[in-house]
Amino acid sequence: MAQEPSQEYIHVAYTMSRPYRWSAGKYLSKLYKEMRDSKKLVTNRCPKCKELLWPPQMVCGRCKVRAGDDWVELSDKGTVAGYTYLVYPLWDPHAGKRVGEDHPYATILLDDGMYMVSRLEEQDKEKLKVGMRVQAVWREEGRGRGLDEDILYFRTIEQ
Amino acid sequence: MANRVAIVGIGQTYHKSRRPDVSQPEMANEAVRAALADAQLSMKDIESVFFSNMETFEGIYLPDHGMADEAGSFMKPGFKIASGGTSGIAAAKEAFHFVASGLFSIALVLGFEKHDAGDTTAAITAATTLAWGKGQARGAIGEFAKQASNYMKQSGATEEHAAMVRLKADRCACRNPYAHLRLGLKSVEEILKSGYLEWPLRLLDFCPQSCGACALIIASEEEARRITNKPVWIADVVAVHQEPFRAGAFCDLDGREPYSQDVASTKLYKRNGITNPRRDIDMAEIYEPSNWEEMFLCEVFHFCEENEGWKLIEKGITEIEGEFPVNPSGGVLATNPIGATPTIRVAECALQIRGDAGEHQVTRDVKTAVATALGGPNWTAMVLLRRSL
Repeated sequence: MAQEPSQEYIHVAYTMSRPYRWSAGKYLSKLYKEMRDSKKLVTNRCPKCKELLWPPQMVCGRCKVRAGDDWVELSDKGTVAGYTYLVYPLWDPHAGKRVGEDHPYATILLDDGMYMVSRLEEQDKEKLKVGMRVQAVWREEGRGRGLDEDILYFRTIEQ
Repeated sequence: MANRVAIVGIGQTYHKSRRPDVSQPEMANEAVRAALADAQLSMKDIESVFFSNMETFEGIYLPDHGMADEAGSFMKPGFKIASGGTSGIAAAKEAFHFVASGLFSIALVLGFEKHDAGDTTAAITAATTLAWGKGQARGAIGEFAKQASNYMKQSGATEEHAAMVRLKADRCACRNPYAHLRLGLKSVEEILKSGYLEWPLRLLDFCPQSCGACALIIASEEEARRITNKPVWIADVVAVHQEPFRAGAFCDLDGREPYSQDVASTKLYKRNGITNPRRDIDMAEIYEPSNWEEMFLCEVFHFCEENEGWKLIEKGITEIEGEFPVNPSGGVLATNPIGATPTIRVAECALQIRGDAGEHQVTRDVKTAVATALGGPNWTAMVLLRRSL
């Protein structure tokens, strides 16, 4: 008996380029502008509970009220609340290739109580610890447009 | 007063890294047919279909429209939910709401993800907003790596404990014919030899990307009693959403904001007279993307005291034969078709209640079970199932 030919399965392989243009909006734009032009972190305050919102936004989720333009400058110092470092290179869609990252990255609790995700300058894994004090290192040349471009990383500081 | 609602049909595909033999609709259809066969129903009996899938992972626009025929939703109403990791329970929750309201008598829930089509981590990383660390976020892996390092520091759990959770998951998966990774792991040492993806997460500490689908048939009490003599009642559903960035990670490490898991489970337990979850519930299927996360989630769902999640695995409490089995199916660590992953949690709880889990049926009698899901932003969705109401 003749052998039944095995079925061939076709794969359609393609790479697509997806250019996007997101509007940061009124509130995030203010933060990004301050970062870009003045190397400052700012955010707005809820008119009702007086808590600082983060990132700056138009509604306080807790009070369910519209937040206004009560802007506050934040410290760019903080404490490492958690960290990790990449060992196995992952696909980075922004670079279009597998990227290994030398800098550990961390969740940093800023002194005004906001969390921020950023890289750490310290590359010695033995020296990393939760609770270490850090401060933002701002990009000097060719200003960026947002959090990951205007702050290069956070540098370990004494206090 | 809402109608009572039961699960009357359960179906899932087997799971693999790649399914070159089927298209996305063909794969989903396997689960649909399995659920219909389980309930002894046909597509004509289904009034509405609730889909769960994250379409950016496959790059297929409106997949629920593209598989209307294969899902049995041709010329019927329904919708797709894409809420990250909670999608598959959110879809079940909506089917529950619609049947409880009396609008439909029989509905189908269909979770599916064909991970071989794209790169999920790249899709998540690309879609991250600037505020959430665009250009630095590494999909889910980075977040769970940070959570693991925090949990280690806070609770005193060690890498050995995490390895014990993976070992349990693998033992369970080896008894579940539908599970994806069935590695036959023998020892903690073997797991501790696997390389780090992102410290302290090792390759074997994290969930895989699976191709697979899971379907549930949800029916009103009247239909349920006609269809099956083993209905599994949906006692309650709950979902809690949280903005993750304000809390910084998936949680507020400062303790200023409660965990969404804590809020969701407290609400669910209170509404259902559960005062001691580990006593009043018999087992759980939870969405644990990493072994570290399983230990932590057991705490925030109040299966144990704070910082004692690792003691559950140390004492064997969460094993198939244990006092409170967690993820006897092998869980997400073994099988992770994201859109279907939470649907599988519900399906597995229902199978345990029916006594139909086969080789991975837990030792204790399961009358009450809880299924949970964890979504991209820190969202939590839960379903409480009972053998009788």
